[in-house]
Amino acid sequence: MSDLDFGLDTFGDVPVDDSGAQVSHARAIRQLVDEAVLADEIGIDVLAVGEHHRPEYAVSTPETVLAGIATRTRRLRLSSGVTVLSSDDPVRVFQRFATVDALSNGRAEVILGRGSFTESFPLFGYDLSDYDKLFEEKIELFVRLLDEKPVTWEGTLRAPLEAAEVFPPTESGHLPTWVGVGGSPPSVVRTARYGLPLMLAVIGGSPTRFAPYIDLYRRAAAQFGTSAHPVGMHSPGFVADTDEEAREVYWPSYRIIRDRIGALRGWPPIRRAEFEAEIEHGSLYIGAPETVARKIARAVDELGVGRFDLIYTAGAQPISARLRAVELYGTKVIPMVRDILAG
Amino acid sequence: MTAAPFTFGLNSFGEVATDAGRVLDDGETVRLLVEEARHAEAVGLDVFSVGEHYRPGHVDTAAPVLLSAIASATRRIRLGTSVTVLSTNDPVRLFHDFSTLDAVSNGRAQLVVGRASATDSFPLFGYDVSDYEELFEEKLELLMRLQREESVTWSGAFRAPLSEQRLRPRMRPGGIPTWIGVGGSPNSVVRAARYGLPLMLAVIGGRPQRFARHVDLYQRALRQAGHGARPIGQHSLGFVADTDAEAAETWWEYWKPVVAGLARERGFYPPTWDVYREEIDHGALFVGSPDTVARKIATTAHDLNLSRFDLKYDIMHLPREARARSIELLGSEVAPRVRELLTKESRHV
Repeated sequence: MSDLDFGLDTFGDVPVDDSGAQVSHARAIRQLVDEAVLADEIGIDVLAVGEHHRPEYAVSTPETVLAGIATRTRRLRLSSGVTVLSSDDPVRVFQRFATVDALSNGRAEVILGRGSFTESFPLFGYDLSDYDKLFEEKIELFVRLLDEKPVTWEGTLRAPLEAAEVFPPTESGHLPTWVGVGGSPPSVVRTARYGLPLMLAVIGGSPTRFAPYIDLYRRAAAQFGTSAHPVGMHSPGFVADTDEEAREVYWPSYRIIRDRIGALRGWPPIRRAEFEAEIEHGSLYIGAPETVARKIARAVDELGVGRFDLIYTAGAQPISARLRAVELYGTKVIPMVRDILAG
Repeated sequence: MTAAPFTFGLNSFGEVATDAGRVLDDGETVRLLVEEARHAEAVGLDVFSVGEHYRPGHVDTAAPVLLSAIASATRRIRLGTSVTVLSTNDPVRLFHDFSTLDAVSNGRAQLVVGRASATDSFPLFGYDVSDYEELFEEKLELLMRLQREESVTWSGAFRAPLSEQRLRPRMRPGGIPTWIGVGGSPNSVVRAARYGLPLMLAVIGGRPQRFARHVDLYQRALRQAGHGARPIGQHSLGFVADTDAEAAETWWEYWKPVVAGLARERGFYPPTWDVYREEIDHGALFVGSPDTVARKIATTAHDLNLSRFDLKYDIMHLPREARARSIELLGSEVAPRVRELLTKESRHV
């Protein structure tokens, strides 16, 4: 199973220090860079950093953080997760990720998405009622830019381009680009239409619910005559030395952030029993290394995905616990998953 | 002279280098910049800045991304821009970028914002060059409010309004050092003074002393606006080599085609050796041996009341060894020599 990739994802959650005090956004960013350095040392394949515009998260510009990681790492691939393309400019996004690619000697990738939050729309002056149109138009332009040839383009939501050359080009001639999808069939079909790899956000319920999306992706790609790439999935979780410790460390900060976001989306407050059920049967990968490894192996096997990314931060967790989670994921969980799947 | 130590910066426009005659590709040049910034730090220079250009042969389209990578590869050197084209950027994105850079670098971020002499970014990002002045004015106002206020409610003509917006990551209180880069427009000088922001003079042709009237205007405008003194810096092109002859001959080879290209584009006379010599001897080119360049910087610093000098050291296809030697000599010989000359002078006053 050497073609299987394992990643870590984070939204740049602001952690707490040993005294329980929330650290500054600046310190949270440096902490994230340190965790990336550790991930690189222990052979984790990829780190994906999300874009958010909310107080809980320190990262609003993933590529500037990824660049800070690039010069301190050697092997780790550097990804966004996701770049909210709808409220960004495809030209700038390309320039910035191509620069990360150069800085990292070809380790950059971008995961484009529409975002599950909507703060970026008013912030950058976009209308939420253009949600679909924005993404459709911008991904079309982005895919054109990926050819790395002069682009002539016209749309309704951005200034036209006339034989525009966009710099710097990548050395490989190809900036790896995925599309992150939360559960919308048209998004899956669109990804297949462009022949781009698909990253599924599996953040609740049984992972097998997503099997139809993977099937749809493959069928759509066959119909369009594009190539269907190995599908990736990302899900939240946390690793500690024991199952109990993992749950006890994760629950308090998770509960706060889950309820804060839930309140915006009309969800009732989460109960401990739901949390436990999500760990047992759903999409929370929480526990000792062996527990998490078994669960990942099952999901990977059932869905036939080629990449699993663990969203390892959730709210104001202690820095030391986060570092330990990264270490255990890289040194224990990943080798165990590979063993299970090979056996 | 002011008591503060004289600041030396290196400026890059992300211009592609050559190595033993081979033109580096853009990716290699990006990585060379990281190496050169480390070198600049090692030889004691104070600031490393990159520009923002959207044309072949330049790799600086994403300055804050470049600087963030440099931040992780260095410990002490400050990281800035030369310049950020504020007119065609979104101040909100700039805030995100530079507060992130300030975080990654542990407080070493700074900015020089300007209107740019090249206009490539206007059509690329859908701006009208005829709004040149208004764009800058409006965006500067927003950028400074975002840096100086915690929660911003704002509306303008060129961007969506903001309502009690708090940007993240939070920046250090008061914001990062933000300079205004000016090419020669008195309006820009007065604007910098109005905001109480330090002034970076882009002296790229003719006698630097021509800018004395701008300096005078700036200082009067600062007083009028009720601000105290602010630092004044100069950005100029130049090259340091072991001897005057070597420096002049090497730089000519690479400067000439670049200026000839600009001459075609902007409609002025192509460069001649005589004009070039004149620029070196009395004008805006800081090309020569360490002693020659140091004397010239010290003289200009005195005449313009500078506390900072930034040398733009890269030019299209200049060999990487020559770039490295120039950085080396600037840090190890020119900078100490200038400081020594300025100290001597202040003792005589």
